[in-house]
Amino acid sequence: MKKLTSPYKWGMVVDLDRCTGCGACVVACQAENNVAICGKKEVAEGRNMHWLRIERFWVGEYPNVRVKFLPVLCQHCHDAPCEPVCPVYASYHNPDGLNGQVYNRCVGTRYCGNNCPYAVRVFNFHDHEHAWPPPLNNQLSPDITVRPRGVMEKCSFCIQRIRRAKEDAKAERRLIRDGEVQPACAQTCPADALVFGNMADPLSRVSRLARSPRSFRLLEHLGTHPSINYLKGGGREHV
Amino acid sequence: MSEHDIAAKSAPQLNDEMLSSLRPPTWKWYGLAFFLGAVVAWGTAAFTYQVMTDMSVTGLDRPVMWGIYIANFVFWVGLSHSGTMVSAILRLSQANWRRPILRAAEAMTVFSITVAGLFPVIHLGRNWVVYYFMPYPNQRGLWPNFRSALLWDATAITTYIIGSSLFLYLGMLPDLAVVRDRSTGWKKKVYAVLAMGWRGTAREWVVFRQASTLMAALIIPVAVSVHSIVAWDFAVTLVPGWHSTIFPPYFVIGAITSGVAAVITLMIIIRRIFHLEEYLTPLHFDNMGKLLLVICLLWSYAYFVEVQTTWYAHEPIEWEVWSFMSGKYTPWLILMLIGNSVLPVAGLCFKKIRRSIRAMLVITLLVNVGMFIERYLIIVPSLSHKNMPFVWGTYSPSWVELSVTAAAFAGFTLMYVLFAKFFPMVAVTDVRELGVRHTDVKLGRAEVHSLTEEEH
Amino acid sequence: METLGTFKDVETATKAVDSLVKAGFSEETITSLTSAPYPDGVIVKTDQRTWFRWVSVGGGIFGACAGFLLAAGTAYVYPVQTGDKPIIASYPTGIIMYELTMLFAILGAIVGMFLEMKLPPRDERVYDPAIGEGSIGISVTVDSREQMSRAGKLMEAAGALTIRH
Repeated sequence: MKKLTSPYKWGMVVDLDRCTGCGACVVACQAENNVAICGKKEVAEGRNMHWLRIERFWVGEYPNVRVKFLPVLCQHCHDAPCEPVCPVYASYHNPDGLNGQVYNRCVGTRYCGNNCPYAVRVFNFHDHEHAWPPPLNNQLSPDITVRPRGVMEKCSFCIQRIRRAKEDAKAERRLIRDGEVQPACAQTCPADALVFGNMADPLSRVSRLARSPRSFRLLEHLGTHPSINYLKGGGREHV
Repeated sequence: MSEHDIAAKSAPQLNDEMLSSLRPPTWKWYGLAFFLGAVVAWGTAAFTYQVMTDMSVTGLDRPVMWGIYIANFVFWVGLSHSGTMVSAILRLSQANWRRPILRAAEAMTVFSITVAGLFPVIHLGRNWVVYYFMPYPNQRGLWPNFRSALLWDATAITTYIIGSSLFLYLGMLPDLAVVRDRSTGWKKKVYAVLAMGWRGTAREWVVFRQASTLMAALIIPVAVSVHSIVAWDFAVTLVPGWHSTIFPPYFVIGAITSGVAAVITLMIIIRRIFHLEEYLTPLHFDNMGKLLLVICLLWSYAYFVEVQTTWYAHEPIEWEVWSFMSGKYTPWLILMLIGNSVLPVAGLCFKKIRRSIRAMLVITLLVNVGMFIERYLIIVPSLSHKNMPFVWGTYSPSWVELSVTAAAFAGFTLMYVLFAKFFPMVAVTDVRELGVRHTDVKLGRAEVHSLTEEEH
Repeated sequence: METLGTFKDVETATKAVDSLVKAGFSEETITSLTSAPYPDGVIVKTDQRTWFRWVSVGGGIFGACAGFLLAAGTAYVYPVQTGDKPIIASYPTGIIMYELTMLFAILGAIVGMFLEMKLPPRDERVYDPAIGEGSIGISVTVDSREQMSRAGKLMEAAGALTIRH
């Protein structure tokens, strides 16, 4: 059994001191990945399809109210709890350190959705495959499928962009350069709060930012070893 | 009826009475079968609607991705412990009062595990590719993931369905021969095939008895493992409130509670419908009541332990799940505690209540109501309030899910009704064995009714 | 060849067995046919030893191997990394091995039982439906026609209701 290795270990840094909560990343993700447009009713039912959500917390009492923003996306855990529980291997770990979701293998048991502590996995409760009436279907990206009903989906770190970059790099007989591949959310963020790159390269921007003393991870005590580091300055004055 | 009375009746008379359910069906039977069939048809229609539309017809959402379908699954697997536990334990302990109860209990196991086995297919988002679960050589280069608890479920339930069906069939073998001898026409041919040419030679009985004991000994570990595996579906996750090592024993105890109560309910029903008052006497209910008392005490203990450790350690997210559950579902929680714990433990201590058929019916029905609520309260509140508060949610079952639940109950009852019409509901030869072994022994000044039992 | 006599109760049946034994038929060729089991020796003595449980043991061993191949073998041949779990995971393999062991042990018990009982019968075996209603049958396995009629006469003398061959 050959052990699969890769020179890449994709990771991300989310700088909470820079995040303004504008939501551009959410829109970019939706546009890039053929994420279904859900209406008010679906969102109220708890069935929104956002791969990336901005969590909003209010701190303090009026008039000293402040708001905290926390973009949450698939953490691509190194010890992902969603992977061993899938009975059909639709959720698996690829050598690049990504948690992969295979749409055509998914049977829809939703066990992975239950076991994800970050609740980043979304299920196609509604039939979104046919919810792109013309001319809306022109905006669909051809690099990625439109998922049918009954299938789980989640953030893939824009794996289609990573694949493209790998192909280009292979053609030029080199590795992917730092900053060459950007998921849609990192590309769009106006505050440069989302940084993506190869954690296996200690000199990449994401690795250097991850070594910051401001760095922490979500739900670290659960031992999922997420690939995403969040940065937040300390002190009571800074929210 | 005591062994003395059994010995007093002739064998044809005993056969007639115990096989009374096999008489041609009355209009009442047809009416019941038709009504149950209609409920099953309605549930099937609702399920078909779900498959043709999408999963939004259920009440499921993020984060509560498992709801009443899985509560049903766990409940029915639990109920399937009825036959095995009652039958196997009583066989191995050689308790004589088991004899009229065995068949009903074993049949209950087979039908409830069959219903349970449907729910993992019903709750899937893409039911039409359920064959991805099956381990067979294919061109996809993929086998199912045995590290997933759902595959352990599939294996265990397959084993249990086959094992309990064979257990039921084995117990019925000599009775099928009796029925074969009494029937005519096409029925005789069918029973003859099922009876496999059983003649009741001494050698056949020796092998049969040893095989029954071996099967009883084999089926008990299977039953324990099946419900432990169902418990692991929850316990091996990171969901707060689920990740608890007490789940497997707790679920097994819950299953036995559910099962024993259901067997008692069933005994009351078939006693009334098939006029088996002389065979299922207050003595049987007394003894089953004692068994139910013990198991309800164990259940109360397990539940107390689970809540007590949550309360004491007060881990924030675990305590949050418990507070949410007890706050939002208070009336259900109270009903569950009354049904599973307070009422049985208080009532079943008294012989008068154990021997009262009416009281036992109320107590055992409430136990199973309580057990269904318990499954629901394990699954839904924990999923509602997981680790990230921004995605806390709620769930309530939709009409589709409730229809399928109703159809499950109706389907189970229908299978039972059909079974009772074609197969012996009481273990005929087992009861007749009591008559065989009964003698009146003159000891001193009295004639003592006694039952002979070989020493081993 | 078998001769079957049906008797209405235990007393007449045991009288028949006694007279058959006295007349020289060995007890191994005589057996009872009853629809309810009688304790050993009440009507006839039978060998209590059985071998079908070895079929069950064999089934269990087969099941253990099958479970190992299924859980560990398929994972080894088609390895997919999931979480922090090793490719050949110990607990899942153990659980699947256990379940299949029990399944095939149970199947082996049933198959072994039928094999030892020699059921279903390949040839026509003599039987009387009255046995299902409580009559006791005594069957003697004989080699020749004249032994058959001798056994039949002895049983008739002891009070048999019917004799079948």
